[in-house]
Amino acid sequence: MDINLMIEITPLLAKAAWVTIEISARALFFGFFIASALVALRTARILPVRWLARSYISVVRGTPYFVQLLLVFYGGPAIGLRLDPFTCGVVVGAFNIGAYMSEAIRGAIESVDSGQSEASRSLGFGRFATLRHIILPQSAGLMIRSIGVLAIILVKNSSLVSIISVVELTYQAQRLIGSTYKPLEVFALSALMYIVILYAVMGIVEFLYRRATRYTYL
Amino acid sequence: MEFDFSPVITYFPTLLKGVGATLLIGLVVALMSIIGGQIVAVISLYTRKVVNWPLRFLIWLFMTTPLLLQLYFLYFGLGQWILIPAIAVGVLGLGFHYMAYNADIFIATIKSVSSGQYEASRSLGFGHLATLFYIILPQAFHRAIPQLGNNMIIMVKDISVLSAIGIAELVYLSQYAISVTFRPFEFYITIAVIYYLINLLMETGQSWIERRAAARR
Repeated sequence: MDINLMIEITPLLAKAAWVTIEISARALFFGFFIASALVALRTARILPVRWLARSYISVVRGTPYFVQLLLVFYGGPAIGLRLDPFTCGVVVGAFNIGAYMSEAIRGAIESVDSGQSEASRSLGFGRFATLRHIILPQSAGLMIRSIGVLAIILVKNSSLVSIISVVELTYQAQRLIGSTYKPLEVFALSALMYIVILYAVMGIVEFLYRRATRYTYL
Repeated sequence: MEFDFSPVITYFPTLLKGVGATLLIGLVVALMSIIGGQIVAVISLYTRKVVNWPLRFLIWLFMTTPLLLQLYFLYFGLGQWILIPAIAVGVLGLGFHYMAYNADIFIATIKSVSSGQYEASRSLGFGHLATLFYIILPQAFHRAIPQLGNNMIIMVKDISVLSAIGIAELVYLSQYAISVTFRPFEFYITIAVIYYLINLLMETGQSWIERRAAARR
């Protein structure tokens, strides 16, 4: 192990790790809104809308994220969609994780016993009020846990963005392996950074989970 | 914007070759990761700490770092010490990655088989290993089937990542065709459709296997 080299490349990798965090955080943020919209569309009154949302989710989950990335980045200009690599990573990441997340949110909502919403409706709560005050507080715990798993997948998937030349952690690591000829050191350091990011995500998820389930008795 | 799918038709035999390669890699990796995962799970559950601690560390390392980083390390890194062909790196890298995930599943399902099963089998005269092979592992495997199926469906999608280290599978061959015809959109759409069909087929297969497995209980 070459300690001096590791100290030397740490700032470079840390900077790249920040890009990984930034790209994942933005994709998660926008993905959440896409997922919520998809959940709403899946319960829409109009049949074609429901059908459209379902097939979108099915197609996104049925094709590799890698191919989606290549399709939008290299194939996008053919339909007038020109994105710079970073934006493309965020957009594709958000639309990809949104499909998975909509299933997670739907699963959490459906895990609440239907008697709860029936009781709430018969007590005079409206549809929205039932969702806001009865269903969501009870499903929040499960929802946060499953979104947490997806956030971890998102961080690991963000490594694929290196293929469209975004300088994030994996891209930087590959470049450093090529220029220093010290694969073990570079791998150890970049793996450590991924692990730190993942454990930070897990910590945040655990914190949110405990907050969300403060008043729930199981 | 006008689409021209005729190059896709011209290069369709190339794409079919890619599909064949992808499916073959998938089969090898599936066998390797399921059998290997089973072995890793048994070793990490039933041996001394000296043996199973490093193994658990490896499982953890494979599960916490991205596949592409592992592939780069194996391909550009290990290549400096020993010469391994890209296809071997790809299959081994993907195999080890999913071996870790499958081992994790097997560890959970082996633990979930009630200890009464073990005690009953021992009191009927089975030895420790015989109990493991004839009583515990079959039940654990049975319980692991749904999650193994999910993992393998995810794995087939991850084969596309192998194109990054130059393995001639579906995406790589289509990239070659694109470099000749300059039609990225048409080709990538076709790839997406092919992958979606493979995925549908696997999901159907998974539910068929699960139904068969449930019937045999």
